[in-house]
Amino acid sequence: MSSEDFPSTKYERGKIFAKTGLKVGSNYAAHYLKSLSGGSSDKSDVHRKTAGEVFSEFVKLRGTALKIAQSFSVDQGFLPDEFSEVMTKAQYSVPPINRSLVRSIIRRELGGYPEQIFSSFNADSIAAASIGQVHKATLKDGRKAAIKIQYPGVKDTISSDIALARTLFKRLVSDKSVIDEYVDEIRLTLIDETDYTKEGESINRFHRRFTNEEVTTPEWIPEYSTERVLTMTYIDGVHLDDFLSTDPSQEKKNHYGQLLWNFFHRQVEDHEEIHADTHPGNFLFTPDGKLGVIDFGCVKSFPEEFFMDYLRLLPTHLVRDESEIKALYKKLGILKDDPENSKKENQFYQFCINYGYAFAMPYLNDTFDFGDPEYRNMIRQFTKKAPVSNEPRGNKHFIYSTRVHLGLYHFLMRLGAEVATTESKKIVDNVLSAKTSV
Amino acid sequence: MDKETTQRIKVAEAAANKYIENQRFTISSLSKELKMKPETIYSLFPNRSSILRYYYTSRVLICRDQNQSIDDYDNFSLSEKLSNFFLTLIDLFGDKREFVLATYKEFVVCSVTRNKFEPEFKDEIRNIFLSDDKIATSSRIFFNSILWHAIYLQFHVLIKFWKEDESRNYENTMALIDKWSTFTEELFYNKVLDKGFDFGKFLFYRSPLGKCAMERGSEQRPSV
Repeated sequence: MSSEDFPSTKYERGKIFAKTGLKVGSNYAAHYLKSLSGGSSDKSDVHRKTAGEVFSEFVKLRGTALKIAQSFSVDQGFLPDEFSEVMTKAQYSVPPINRSLVRSIIRRELGGYPEQIFSSFNADSIAAASIGQVHKATLKDGRKAAIKIQYPGVKDTISSDIALARTLFKRLVSDKSVIDEYVDEIRLTLIDETDYTKEGESINRFHRRFTNEEVTTPEWIPEYSTERVLTMTYIDGVHLDDFLSTDPSQEKKNHYGQLLWNFFHRQVEDHEEIHADTHPGNFLFTPDGKLGVIDFGCVKSFPEEFFMDYLRLLPTHLVRDESEIKALYKKLGILKDDPENSKKENQFYQFCINYGYAFAMPYLNDTFDFGDPEYRNMIRQFTKKAPVSNEPRGNKHFIYSTRVHLGLYHFLMRLGAEVATTESKKIVDNVLSAKTSV
Repeated sequence: MDKETTQRIKVAEAAANKYIENQRFTISSLSKELKMKPETIYSLFPNRSSILRYYYTSRVLICRDQNQSIDDYDNFSLSEKLSNFFLTLIDLFGDKREFVLATYKEFVVCSVTRNKFEPEFKDEIRNIFLSDDKIATSSRIFFNSILWHAIYLQFHVLIKFWKEDESRNYENTMALIDKWSTFTEELFYNKVLDKGFDFGKFLFYRSPLGKCAMERGSEQRPSV
């Protein structure tokens, strides 16, 4: 087993960012020169090579940078296909922690070596998360458990990475004052994720709310947990890619897609807390046909006003009520002025109205086919043609609301599921009308 | 671990606790604590100081013993074995941190009498290196007492770092051990010297000097 060094100093991590930038630059420069000199250079090869190199450097950073990599793979439309394909690996694989270090962390955190406190412990990790890795174990009472272990020193590196990112973003954007708000939101979320006790409490809350005939979630085992080690009951199942590799029937795809769609809307229904990390690594398809939800490090409670405005975008887009759409986007900070008064605002508005409609489309009829290549292509085209400027827009809560929503759609598109949406439409309507009646 | 060693460890650990309570503790107070006759303690150790020194030696023995219970230990890489040894020692020292911080310098670093911790420590390091078949051939020329001693001195530095480490559960010490062992593995697994030697050999035997040496060699070979 190879042990990878975790670059924790600001200098080492800054060097990796710089090295990655140089590699990307040199790959594309080589491609450009080759095409100028008449040589044949397939751009998709360049994308794939570059993606591989970016990924291999980013995974060394784990923590913050891996989160960025994960965001890229979720928001697939923004990247070339070959890039997304390789970056999606970030969902599952990061370098493992040295086995001796794993033993020592467990001893320090739980008071004994794995062989002393568990009936069995698999020294090889079964999954790697961005700030830790997961091992399978059997407790002395016979329960199967998943033990999540955090890389030492990761909390400190988040602060230094965020400081680096803040400096970088401030050089890129015109309105520097807004950056702090976004960056602080990400920093606080990431810092929260390093406290496994908080995650344990979230696990329990979600277990109480969601464990039913459709969804299964783990139970927190606090007596084997600390801030850096999280023990929960083990859920058996396969991830999206493994499931797809078995060439499942359309019926099975629809079944699991429906469960995920329903899970999302049940969260909307009681809008207490939202599982804000909708990437494939956090969901399992269990042998008994349930959806396993396994990672609760990133859960969000959105302010009521933002949540309702965000949700109201769906029906408003469906009826194409342009004055209401404009008012909502203004309230949410996407539009700064009336689109009629400014070419730039109009550009944003045109993008929002079309993209928003595409997002609301699943709620148009009683069923929706996420496997439709035309829909997938449409979403991708929108994201590719997004009016990217050096002027960040929108409420800071968009960072995670979009992550959840985009994550859900991309998951369902990759799964190729057709889902029934009648119930979910009722949920959205009920939530909005309940608020209006209050 | 045999019965006598187990008993010696028990006495050494109790003595370490006693030392923290009172640096001038007596064998008689220790025997009371252990519910053991003073003669039994004297049959295991010649004096009080040797008991305290044995605390350190025994940590290496415990490490060795624990390795047997680690799944797949034989297939651990060099960095995993080195970090396992250092981390386990630090974990064990952590159980009596106050004692270690108060006595490490006196009983280990500046010990005037022969300290068995040092040979046991070096023995363990030597075994780790010698049993690793992934180490580059050229790196093996460094396998000597200087290397074992250099690592032993680095361990002293690590203890100093651990003493000053204020991170939660000494996370920074863990990170340092991880980085040091990974770096050491990288040095010893690196095949640059092996490849360089191979390349040099190739060039030498194709140079005039090399050809001359080969010709002389074949002239001197006795005919069968």
